[in-house]
Amino acid sequence: MASRKKILLKVIILGDSGVGKTSLMNQYVNKKFSASYKATIGADFLTKEVLVDDRLVTMQLWDTAGQERFQSLGVAFYRGADCCVLVYDVNNSKSFDTLDSWRDEFLIQASPMDPESFPFVVLGNKVDMGEDKRVISSKRASAFCQAKGGIPYFETSAKEAVNVDQAFEVIARNALAQEESNDFNADYPEVIAINMGENDKGCAC
Amino acid sequence: MATPPTDSRPSTSGSPSSPYSPTASFYDMSDDEEGEYSTIRAAKSEKGVKLLYTKSKTYIHPSASAKDNVPGYIALIQQKPGNGPNVSSPPSSPVASSSTRRTAETANILLAWVPESSMGDARDIYNKVEQAGSSSPPKQSQLVPPPPVTTSHNAGLGTYPFAVPVSDIFSILVRPPSAGWWFGSIVINTRGGDSFPALFFHDSECQSTIDQRKKLQRENFSISTEGGGMFWGGDEIMRWLKRYTVVERSSQEPSIYLIDPNEVDKLGFGTGGKPSSDKVRNVLEGKHKDEPAQSQWQNVEDPVVKVLKQARWSFLEKMSQVTTFTRRTAQAVAENKNLPPQVRRLMQDPQVQTVSEEFDSARLYLARWAMGIAEQSEKERSQRVWSAKEALEMEDSEVGQFEILDVDAQGLSLADKRKPVTLKEWNGFFNSRTGSLEKTPDEVKERIFHGGLDEEDGVRKEAWLFLLGVYEWNSTKEERHAKMNSLRDEYIRLKGAWWERMVDEQGTLEEREWWKEQKMRIEKDVHRTDRHIPIFAGEDIPHPDLDSPFAESGTNVHLEQMKDMLLTYNEYNRDLGYVQGMSDLLAPIYAVEQDDAVAFWGFVGFMERMERNFLRDQSGMRLQLLTLDHLVQLLDPKLYAHLAKLDSTNFFFFFRMLLVWFKREFEFSAILRLWEGLWTDSLSSNFHLFIAVAILEKHRNVIIEHLHGFDEVLKYVNELSGTIDLPSTIVRAESLFRRFQRTVESIDRKSNFPAAPLPRQRLPQPPPVTRPGSNGRPRQPSSSDANGSGSTSARERTTVGDHVAAGIGAGKEETRVISSELRALLSREIPKLDKTEVREHGGGVGS
Ligand SMILES: Nc1nc2c(ncn2[C@@H]2O[C@H](COP(=O)(O)OP(=O)(O)OP(=O)(O)O)[C@@H](O)[C@H]2O)c(=O)[nH]1
Ligand SMILES: [Mg+2]
Repeated sequence: MASRKKILLKVIILGDSGVGKTSLMNQYVNKKFSASYKATIGADFLTKEVLVDDRLVTMQLWDTAGQERFQSLGVAFYRGADCCVLVYDVNNSKSFDTLDSWRDEFLIQASPMDPESFPFVVLGNKVDMGEDKRVISSKRASAFCQAKGGIPYFETSAKEAVNVDQAFEVIARNALAQEESNDFNADYPEVIAINMGENDKGCAC
Repeated sequence: MATPPTDSRPSTSGSPSSPYSPTASFYDMSDDEEGEYSTIRAAKSEKGVKLLYTKSKTYIHPSASAKDNVPGYIALIQQKPGNGPNVSSPPSSPVASSSTRRTAETANILLAWVPESSMGDARDIYNKVEQAGSSSPPKQSQLVPPPPVTTSHNAGLGTYPFAVPVSDIFSILVRPPSAGWWFGSIVINTRGGDSFPALFFHDSECQSTIDQRKKLQRENFSISTEGGGMFWGGDEIMRWLKRYTVVERSSQEPSIYLIDPNEVDKLGFGTGGKPSSDKVRNVLEGKHKDEPAQSQWQNVEDPVVKVLKQARWSFLEKMSQVTTFTRRTAQAVAENKNLPPQVRRLMQDPQVQTVSEEFDSARLYLARWAMGIAEQSEKERSQRVWSAKEALEMEDSEVGQFEILDVDAQGLSLADKRKPVTLKEWNGFFNSRTGSLEKTPDEVKERIFHGGLDEEDGVRKEAWLFLLGVYEWNSTKEERHAKMNSLRDEYIRLKGAWWERMVDEQGTLEEREWWKEQKMRIEKDVHRTDRHIPIFAGEDIPHPDLDSPFAESGTNVHLEQMKDMLLTYNEYNRDLGYVQGMSDLLAPIYAVEQDDAVAFWGFVGFMERMERNFLRDQSGMRLQLLTLDHLVQLLDPKLYAHLAKLDSTNFFFFFRMLLVWFKREFEFSAILRLWEGLWTDSLSSNFHLFIAVAILEKHRNVIIEHLHGFDEVLKYVNELSGTIDLPSTIVRAESLFRRFQRTVESIDRKSNFPAAPLPRQRLPQPPPVTRPGSNGRPRQPSSSDANGSGSTSARERTTVGDHVAAGIGAGKEETRVISSELRALLSREIPKLDKTEVREHGGGVGS
């Protein structure tokens, strides 16, 4: 691997509608929060260049709509992901309960080579809303992440820019590690041939 | 709850520009005051300042987004020296000799910028003065309200007018249009060390600049100025200033023009050793020790440059992992005849190419940029007259020339056809006594399809109810009245039903959960829908529900109405329920109707045809994307082949456009026009797919030449939002439809498969490109194949695209097959789902 090679890290952000995926991404990339982002339809991505341990990498952050029914078409983007960010709203228990199925669905659709070691990061968003609104405690969320093999967990606020940079730094780092392990595997083409063939057209419709 | 809207609510169906502009600020004058300024006043009037020169289409770009650009006029004005009487005296000899005298004089000369939104009637005067030009000193005194005089720039970027005394201007940073960004700009730096926001000259929109270029060309066979660059708005500003003061270009910082510099200034900028901004800084620093030099200098960098540097280039760089920008690509851009000559010239300039090579995906940027310019000139053209000839000239795709659209049977000329239907014309369609329609519905629809409805006179309120199926076309006034009354009652009943359910917590646990979730979803979406439209903007009432996440921020009455209507729909159509995107569909209807019950039923009508977009298994969306796939194969095989190479034939990048009918791509007022046209089903009940292809075709060369990955296509298409010109798109879509129709006819004539209508058949198999993980499959809406379907088996169908593509290229017409999906496009019958289908696939609580 040439060290000059540019590195593109593909990150998928998933979670229920309205938990703040679009807001988090914009806070991280554009350093701003707007109360009037529209509900995401279809998919879009933002890119950001970051330095991870002296290496310049570009993160391509994919944002999709949160309502489940829209996921069936969006799965085309999951492939080739280097990290998956699962977002929930600490003030909404349903959005926490669904984290598991988001994770499962991602693993099925993206079918990474080694699902066990695929990097996830969990973000509990909207911590700015106050303790009285909060329904999912840090303890409960941490326990969940522990149980899933030690997923890194951050409590964030896209609105007040709490912990956003820190979380994405870890996301970048873990994505880079994943990307590098993939590159290593790519030296052995037969390893990755598993998932091709029937849908080399690569389309979900 | 259902407070009937009052008449005082602001109308959004009004003129396209008014809802967005900030309300006029200090130029808002009472009527009698206004009267004083709307005419040219005698020079002795005490009010107002003398407008010497002005130039329109001078923008402030407060953010990276073109949508935020604020248009205004830059002007040179003269105010009365104190109470002195010499306002009307024309400027004396160009440049006075003594510096002191100059200062006295230039203190009364102001360089000003006034946003269009706050000009009021004074705009007429500005326009007049602009037309008079600047080749000679102004002869007549034209008075305008005085913009506030200031020497320091503070908050409120782009919203407020300002005027800086020329004697307070230290220098002007002049950046002619160049490869880095298209618009030339100037930045005023004051003696106090402040920098005003960059003023951008949108030369291609500015009639006076265009005229001046033409004039230059006539006189010198060149549109360049002496300096070599193309004449642009900034040149003229410098010309104005030179009439009143000394302007010296810094030899160290060639982009800095010093205004009436003293010796120290000249030293700092003019002669001496090493150049650079340090020197500039030193000079500035020496003069104002109290201000940190760095921030001063940073001020000079305008937001656009910053964004270009930080986001644009690096983003672009990243976008193209696949290929690099090469000299060859630059050459391709330079030779692409779709690009305006200026751009091509620029690209041929080796300097530009070197710059470009540094940013290896500059190609994407350039592509977009060039497209933007093309779009701009197209807009200019469409603002003048729409003629078929122009539509024809506009078409530059390889798909072929657009035909001249037939003049229709009623003998209306094309220009007449494209005039909006006014309330008066509309009323004329009906019998004045009975109120029943005296034309055929098709005639009326055809008329609306081409002309749209007047956006200001309120005709939409009534006509939309016909288009949306709330009223029958063959009803009488009385019948409509009765219908509306019963619909109002019904709305109140439906609304009461969920209200009770909510209060009493009825239903199974599962139902209650679903309900709670839907309510949350609706609320979140309503607060994220069209908030820039005046009626939906702002929060001025406390939230009724203290537990709501929006309890703190509050709400407004229209958001609450939106919420109620969507909750009612959620209840009304329990098989489907509320799905994201629906709020986008309701907002325009509510904004036009301005009445919740009426808007609700209009929405119900709209949803009948849109239901298929929202099914849980997404089968309706898949079907439309597949149809789009076939359509592009048929109409533009070369583009199709390219998309196939990029794994983009799932056409997912059109998902958003199709789901909410381009709501996110066009501005609000354009959506009203587009939708009413689509609702007519005048040519096809799936005309929106032709709109989609029209948009795609417009960019096909850029896509083929410059985009090399699925992600690039998606990003490119997503970013078209806000840049697409609607009138020309509609014309192209119609032309594409006619070409499609002819193609089908000719294939049918030659084909082995005559178009004998066959009984309806279901797709026995999913479309060719289904992933294992996807659970839905396209189903034919009940009436989509009203015209009969092809006799293809599922096997044949999977290869239909290849047949079609190969067929066109190789002339093997006999192999061409029109898929049933394509054939359905010839139908004008609205593809509605039947109830059982919705129940099975809706994913609501009823299913
Ligand atoms: N208080 C608070 N509100 C937030 C925060 N992040 C997002 N929001 C609000 O939550 C709502 C949804 O935010 P989005 O970022 O649009 O959510 P999303 O996850 O992208 O939603 P979908 O696009 O529908 O999937 C908006 O009204 C935001 O203003 C946060 O950190 N704090
Ligand atoms: Mg979103």
